[in-house]
Parts: sequence; C-alpha cells; structure tokens
Amino acid sequence: MLQNIKNVYYDPVLIKKIVSKIKKQADTLDREIDIMHVCGTHENSIVRFGLRDLLPESIKLRAGPGCPVCVTSTRDIDAIINFALKNDVTIMSFGDMLKVPGSEYSFHSALSLGLDIKMVYGVEDAIKEAEISKKEIIFFSVGFETTAAPIASILSEVFIPDNFSIYSVHKFTPNGVYELLKSGKINADGLLLPGHASVISGLKVYEKIADEFHLASVASGFEPLDILVSVYMILQQIIDKKSVVENEYKRTVAYEGNKKALRYMDKVFHLDDSIWRGLGNIANSGFFVNEQFKNIDASYKFDIVYPENYIEHKKGCRCADVILGNAEPKDCPLFAKICTPSNPIGPCMVSDEGTCKNVYDAGSIE
Amino acid sequence: MNGNITIDHGSGGKLTLDLIENVFKADSGLDSAILCDIAFTTDSHSVQPLFFKGGDIGKLSISGTVNDLLCVGAKPLYISSAFIIEDGFSIKSLEKIVESMKREAESAKVKIVCGDTKVIENKNSGGVFINTSGIGKIIKAIDGSNVQEGDAVIVTGTIGDHGFSILNEREKFNFKSNLSSDCSNLVDLIMPLIESDFNIKFMRDPTRGGLAMCLNELCYKKDYGMEIYEENIPIRKEVLGMSEILGIEPCYSANEGKMVIIADKKDAGNIISVLKKHSLGINSEIIGSITTKHPSKVVMNTAFGTKRILNMPVSDKMPRIC
Repeated sequence: MLQNIKNVYYDPVLIKKIVSKIKKQADTLDREIDIMHVCGTHENSIVRFGLRDLLPESIKLRAGPGCPVCVTSTRDIDAIINFALKNDVTIMSFGDMLKVPGSEYSFHSALSLGLDIKMVYGVEDAIKEAEISKKEIIFFSVGFETTAAPIASILSEVFIPDNFSIYSVHKFTPNGVYELLKSGKINADGLLLPGHASVISGLKVYEKIADEFHLASVASGFEPLDILVSVYMILQQIIDKKSVVENEYKRTVAYEGNKKALRYMDKVFHLDDSIWRGLGNIANSGFFVNEQFKNIDASYKFDIVYPENYIEHKKGCRCADVILGNAEPKDCPLFAKICTPSNPIGPCMVSDEGTCKNVYDAGSIE
Repeated sequence: MNGNITIDHGSGGKLTLDLIENVFKADSGLDSAILCDIAFTTDSHSVQPLFFKGGDIGKLSISGTVNDLLCVGAKPLYISSAFIIEDGFSIKSLEKIVESMKREAESAKVKIVCGDTKVIENKNSGGVFINTSGIGKIIKAIDGSNVQEGDAVIVTGTIGDHGFSILNEREKFNFKSNLSSDCSNLVDLIMPLIESDFNIKFMRDPTRGGLAMCLNELCYKKDYGMEIYEENIPIRKEVLGMSEILGIEPCYSANEGKMVIIADKKDAGNIISVLKKHSLGINSEIIGSITTKHPSKVVMNTAFGTKRILNMPVSDKMPRIC
C-alpha cells in the first residue's frame, strides 16, 4: 500500500535499474569514491531505506555536519541554562534540542535543578506562551536556514510581546560547509546537497564550493530513488571530470532559492562567526539577530554570561569526528554501550537527524 | 533505578518497559491477566485534547480496556471507572464524557458496574483522567505460547491514524484533512475470530508506541523474531503526508482501534476475509511472518530488497527540525 501511494520514488524496478547503472559507473571509476551529505534527513532516509546496502562497496555515502542540534555548541546551551536558573525565565525550544547534553546538563535534565523549560513545535507557540505568561520567555532558536527562514517570517510579521525574545544559534549550511572544506576538516569526492535547506538558499551559493574544491555537487530529494539518482549524477560528473552544481530535486528546489524567504531572513538575521560544537569558530556561519530587532534578541536584552570552560564532547565521545564524517558511530567506544537514545552522551545520539541515533535505531540484524 | 520520572517513561516505549521491569518488577507480557477463565485488566487514560475528531477520553477509556480484554481471547463483560478530576472542570464536559462512555459500553456490550470520583487541585494538567478496569470471560486463552516459524503477522487496518490526528489537533498544525482518530472498541471485529476455529496465537493492540512498539513487544525476549514487509503495511495517504512533513514514521504513531494478530499461516487468508467483512477491518493486511532466524528482532523489508531493524521507540518521536 505504501508503495502505491509513494509510487515512482519507491519503484523497485526503477531502483534496480539505477543501482545497476551505479555499479557500472563504479566499475569504470575503479577506485573508492566518497560522497558526503550534509543533511540529517538524508541520513535518516539512507538508513531507513537501507540505501548503503544497495551501493557497490567502493561508493561510500558518508554523513557530514547536517544535524542542527548536533552542531549547537555547549557554550550556548550552558550559558542559557545558567542564565535561566538565576533569573525567572522560561526556556522554550524544539523537543530534540531540549535533550542535547551540555557540559553537564541538558535543558531537560536541568529540570531537576528547577529550570523552567517547555517543548514547542514552533516559535509561534513560544510567542503565544509569552502572551499569557508573566515570565520572560526565551526561545532557543536552533536550525539551519530551513528553520531560520520561517522563524524570521513569523518574527517580522506578528505582534511580539515585550516578555519574548529569541536566542539564535541558527547556522548557515553553505558557509559552514565551505569553511570546513577549506580547513581540510572535511573532504569528499562529491557532495549530496541538502534538499530542504536548498529550498531556501537555492543552489548558486554552492557553486563556489563545487568549483573551488572540485566537488561534484547534486541537490537531492529524500525518497530512495531521489538519493540513488543523485548518487548516479555525482558519479557521472566524476567520470566526466566535472564539478558543477546540479539539481535532482527540481520539483522542490529552485536554483535561485526562495526569494521571499531570503528577504525575511535578511530582514531579521545577519551572518557572523559562529561556534559549531566541537568544530570551533566558523566564519560567517551563524545567523544573529539584526540591530533592528534587538528588543527580541535575548543576547542583547539580557546579560548572558558565557562560560570560560565548556565541554563540547565528553571523554571518549567521538561525535566531533562523526559530524565531520571522519568516523562512523561504531568507531566510538561509547556508541550503544553507555551512549544510547535514553542516555545520550554525545549530541549525535539525540535527534532523528543525528548520525549515531539513526545508526542505533536501524540496529544490526546479525 | 536512579533519576526522576520523565514524560518519556509514559510514552509506551522502551523507557516504559524499563520502568515496568525494574521498578514494578512485573512482566509486561500480556494485555490482560488470565485468571483461570477470567481475564482482568486495567488502564489509565489521559489525552489532550479531551474531545478529538473520532472520539473523546470517555470513549477511549472504554474501548482501550475492552480491546485489552479481547487480546487474550476474552469476551469483555464488566468495566469499572474511576475519575480524577481537576477543580474547575466543566460539569457539562463531564456529562459529555460520561454519555460517550455509556454509548461505547453499549456498543461493546459491556456493563459499567462500579466507579470512583476524586477531585484534585487545579494544576492545568488536562482536566480529567479516567482509569478503567475490565473483566472478561475467557473464550479461548490467547497467550502467545504456541507462536512458531512461519506464522503470519496481521494488522487489522491503517496505522498511525490516532497519533497523527491527535497531534494535528493538539498542536494546531492545521493540516486540512479528513483524518480522524480510529478510537473504537473491536468487539464486533475480533469476537468472531476468538469464537472461530482459527489458530490465533497472540494478539496485541498497537496503542502508545505504535505498530513498532507492538511488534517488538510481541517478540520481546522470545526465541523468534519477525520479518515485516513495508509495502504491505496499510497507511492512509493523509498519515503518510503528515509523517513526511513532520519526520515521524507512521509505525511509531499511536492507534486506538487496531489489532495485531499472530496466527497460523494456513488460517491467515481466511482470517483476512473475515476481518475485511467488517468496516473496522476493511484494510486488514498480512504484513509479515514469524522467523527464528533473528530472535526478538523485528526486521523491516523494503519493496526494493533492503532490510533494517524496526526498533522499539525509546520515547515519543519528535518532529524533525530541518
């Protein structure tokens, strides 16, 4: 029944066909090819549909920095927890964010210290809460451009109560990926560009990456056939010695992006250097609230003290390497032993977009 | 066990199971206790919103307990109901809930025979909670003891309807659809199977934790596992659409009017025919089979030949951020 609804993107015949084409390409290339994706939902699809098992052994599909809560620095988590504990404020954020461990506490585990936290599905719920609450509400605003854009549109369109502010830890994928490639922290032969994030940013922003780092780059959808066709397109570019940006996800992604969404983002946010968890400060990779909206910027409104010391990854945790695609979850000594979804030690074990959580959930049949 | 109770301990997933095993030191094996020829069960109900498309907390409190009795092969007979009500709760709403319980009890052919009422301080916890216990007469004890290699795994209809419908209403996502909760007692659907000669070996209703939790519980600590075929799992288009947008798999979403049945494979086709005759079972499908190749594990097979484990959910699934 699922197949009937999903039709073409699940079609076993088409999938078999594209897999056999990929096998021929792998034979032609006759070397290991590393394709990196930078989207947690891609990892989720790849694992959920077992797509790695369909690819020839020489074609590696690796997860890069694509999980928004995984790259949120503990510096930000610790600072907001400490501030909220000392002041009468309510912290609101997405469910996944609340469970991500900081240096010592996650927002969720800090409940036991008396932290007032609430899970919301969107910034509008936090604004509504502010309307009825006597307390200050801080929305811990996390996500890539996919999330930053709708949040920007709401913040610029609706009435905002005085007791509401956001603390932005939003990150901009293309700039993060560019700097990480430039520093040599990540490397690959091809790049599977994020489908959802590219709806907002468009693909022009990736041209520099494809060109400068000679990376065959294809924006991909999330269905099994989307991802396999994108892999095929990347391999064909490599065979043809090309490194350009192509769009497999044309039914959703426009090359120039979503202009209206980009306008909203420009209105509310500007780019500046931002700390990514375990990866350090990355130039122009974070969205920060514009001067014009400073009254709803928690970092302007409040005296938030940043911890001098903060622990991005606990001893033994290899999330930093996993996020960069330089280690697989199974390479981590903590994975599935002491680090599990009910007791996550590293950020990658929390969200359905986290690489460790995905691999853990998919389990091992043996 | 250390630490504090979190909301996830009540999600019906792995953390709930941990609590049952390590604190209550109980066995979560069957949905009702089998006491000679009597089946006995209890269930507490809290749901937000209290009134939802397709039902309300009153209907749910009857159907949930009735369905748990059916699971062990019992004819549901008597129900107790205990209310915990918050100070300030509207009596009109309470009347509506009670009326709904009455209707559902009539439909399930059970009698509500005793009850209790407590009122607590208003802490905005949802207004009303209902506990119901149920007694049924065992017609044919179904306790999962004879499950073997090759047995068929059947689900009696589309999955995830309740979970997604409730989520849409509670969180005001405003997805426009005709989707409503499947909240219903299954007496008319399941009693004919219990009273038949079909070799039915195990039944469980896939409520909290969804189909994934239910299938895992059916083979938890057992010497058999399951092969499930993704393309055979009945899913409504609306549920699939919402699941794609929110990033929550339908298999992890709650149901309140479905049954998972493990039966001898030679009876499976006939069971499906019987189920499909009833409006509640019209979308019944055989979704997989029992295997001894990977004990305790539920393996999901895609239409294009790949496999993965369908794990127990740890907690409620969250919509993805990006």
